[in-house]
Amino acid sequence: MPFIGAALVVFVLSVSQVVAQDVLVTITANPLEGDAEAIKAGMGAYRVRCADCHGMDARGIRSPDITQVWARGRTDGALFRTIRNGVTGTEMPSFPAPRTSDLDIWRILAYLKTLAAAATTEPVRGSATAGQGVFAAQCLACHRVGTAGGHLGPDLSRIGIARARAALSRQIRGGMTDVRTGYEPVTLTTPGGEQIQGLKKNEDLFSVQIMDTTERIQGYLREDMRAVTNGRQSAMPAFSPERLSDADLDDLLAYLTSLQGAAK
Amino acid sequence: MHRLVARLTLAALAPSIVAASLLAQGAPPPLVTPQELLQGLPADGSRWLTFGGGYDNHRHSPLTQITPDNVSRLAAQWVFQTDTPARFETTPLLRDNVLYVTGPLNLAWALDARTGREIWRYRRELPPTGSLTACCGLVNKGFGVLGDRLFMTTLDAHVIALDMKTGGVVWDTTMEDYSKGYASTIAPLVVKDKVIVGVAGGEYGIRGFIDAYDAATGKRAWRFYTIPGPGEPGNDTWAGDSWQRGGASVWVTGAYDPDMNLLYYGIGNPGPDYHSDSRKGDNLYSDSIVALDADTGKLRWHYQFTPHDLHDWDATEVPILADLAIGGRPRKVVMFANRNGFYYTLDRVTGELLVAKPFVITTWAKEIGRDGRPVLLPGNVPDEQGSLTCPDVTGATNFWPPTYDPQQRLFFVNAREVCATFYAWRQEYVPGERFTGGAAQRARGPDQRAYGALRAIDPVTGERKWEFEYITPSTSGLLSTASGVIFSGDAEGNFLAIDARSGAFLWRFQMGSALHGTSAITYMVDGRQHVLVPAGTTLTAWALPDVPRVAPTR
Repeated sequence: MPFIGAALVVFVLSVSQVVAQDVLVTITANPLEGDAEAIKAGMGAYRVRCADCHGMDARGIRSPDITQVWARGRTDGALFRTIRNGVTGTEMPSFPAPRTSDLDIWRILAYLKTLAAAATTEPVRGSATAGQGVFAAQCLACHRVGTAGGHLGPDLSRIGIARARAALSRQIRGGMTDVRTGYEPVTLTTPGGEQIQGLKKNEDLFSVQIMDTTERIQGYLREDMRAVTNGRQSAMPAFSPERLSDADLDDLLAYLTSLQGAAK
Repeated sequence: MHRLVARLTLAALAPSIVAASLLAQGAPPPLVTPQELLQGLPADGSRWLTFGGGYDNHRHSPLTQITPDNVSRLAAQWVFQTDTPARFETTPLLRDNVLYVTGPLNLAWALDARTGREIWRYRRELPPTGSLTACCGLVNKGFGVLGDRLFMTTLDAHVIALDMKTGGVVWDTTMEDYSKGYASTIAPLVVKDKVIVGVAGGEYGIRGFIDAYDAATGKRAWRFYTIPGPGEPGNDTWAGDSWQRGGASVWVTGAYDPDMNLLYYGIGNPGPDYHSDSRKGDNLYSDSIVALDADTGKLRWHYQFTPHDLHDWDATEVPILADLAIGGRPRKVVMFANRNGFYYTLDRVTGELLVAKPFVITTWAKEIGRDGRPVLLPGNVPDEQGSLTCPDVTGATNFWPPTYDPQQRLFFVNAREVCATFYAWRQEYVPGERFTGGAAQRARGPDQRAYGALRAIDPVTGERKWEFEYITPSTSGLLSTASGVIFSGDAEGNFLAIDARSGAFLWRFQMGSALHGTSAITYMVDGRQHVLVPAGTTLTAWALPDVPRVAPTR
């Protein structure tokens, strides 16, 4: 063990020098793969920092299944960069140094490797082309793809890499268990009794900033309002099978999972 | 002490003699004396010379020009920007209308307090930032001062002395090898002829200590290891050789009682933070307050708030000294609102526990027993599956300074109501690497409301007198004044004035960044009371616009 420890120290020094020169891309293989201690530490870090979105089993909750990333051809080096830099246009955050060291990331990947699975090919269901039509009819008023669509809901231009298909399906059918920050519904009541419905973009003790249902962004002082009432339910409607048939949902999911467009 | 002043005076005179022969401008500016440090915050508002304003750490100014009635008229006088990506966690010092400010990355400045304009700038050549091991930001908490020198700790675990006039380095002493996990961010406390500092690294398997350095030479005068070595009392509270890397860091400035010549310092968490099988025992003096002889560093007494801590609850909060009548007896006390959720009043002569009461929701201990030990509740041991405990890892409060109002006999503190899931797993020690054996995550869910509050606590009973609630937990320190104003901040970036008698809201200004771990300070410039606010990467000075300025005579 002490011998491995010494080897690791040497490695830390060399990695930090490499990072300083920004040529980390040359490291393509996880130096900690198979290391029992690293896997153990990686498990803890994974559970605290990753499992909320990717699941304790890494099969994805709202964020993608990441058990098959190696089977699908991603390299250790590419995965390292994804964790370090995050994925623009999705909820995947960056984990910058020095708070997250290079070794921290390699440990997480060492643990993730123990969960790795063979690539599965789900039978292709639905038509993305037909799904685009469903999207235009049902979703486009609030959600944006590329340069088209509304602004009330989150931009979905990259939803195909941000969400597991099953999570999308759940959320469309009405399984929005939490509300994304910046999209919490809020109702402002003016002294005259008029109600302004909107989505909360920010707030503090004295003010609240919203996008109202006309897509007007505006800040209001709490002292100017009779009431500021937080909604509990996501503004995203639940699409029951009566409203959206299983076949239409398959088409829509085929379209949404194809949305892997460039980050803005 | 007198010999030191004489020596410093001579040192300062040498260049002045040359200047006098050329310019004949009279006496050099007076030096900062130990007497000034003993006086704390003077009634004329001309100085702020230590981290806590005075050795008692009250941070309670005698100034009364700004009041609850007129505070809403405060107007910005100037803004200073660091032009760095990292933030202030500093308490600036003020003397003779000049501010001395430490910033992130061991930058430091002397600024004209009238205009905010830079007089000099110091920048330390640091090792590559990736090799520094400060756990929680490349920050610094402020200068100490004596004679014509400023003292600062550094991220690579040195302590240095700078010339107050130029920012030039006078001496530079290595405290420890930074590559082994040591760093230092603490504001030095100057006591008599010594500079008192400590080290950070509780998440990196260090063995913590408090050091005293000779202000004149930078030579180390004494070291108190916060973990006793073999043969010393308390070493047996660490299983096996775990004492060698047990953490117990020191990164928040303590207090000093000149009558008893005792220093009071809060000590950091034991390591590894969460997985504790390797360090069975109480783990002294982690999570304790220690009383040390200021001349020798010898331990007089200690009190451990959290024996065998499992939740990273450093006792690195600011201790405050006062004289109180408790149970009909006059007592010299030290007051301490702890990260573990309890507020404590201790007799500072003996270390006897007088008052202990939760000031937030706490689920790990039922109470503090008569023997001074917490009465533990089940279900709070972190493991691989995670266990839910209140308060969270950041704690009920933390390093952001509280204040004490001796007129009202109230202790003011920014408290946090947050719970967390704590995880633990076994981890092997690698020198210079993070060594926490786990992690913690803020508890989520509809029944988990995380918020903060400014609370006024009666130190005689531990009872809450009033509170001012924030919508999220604040990490701002406090400043209070004799006119009854408390200056605070919230996490959304509002700088706030609160009525010290009722907790009522008085005034706000959106700074664009929270006062993270910082407090405002206050002082007089040209007859006008100023309030100086470090927030994010800015320093902003405030004063009343309708108070006429008295121009200086020289």
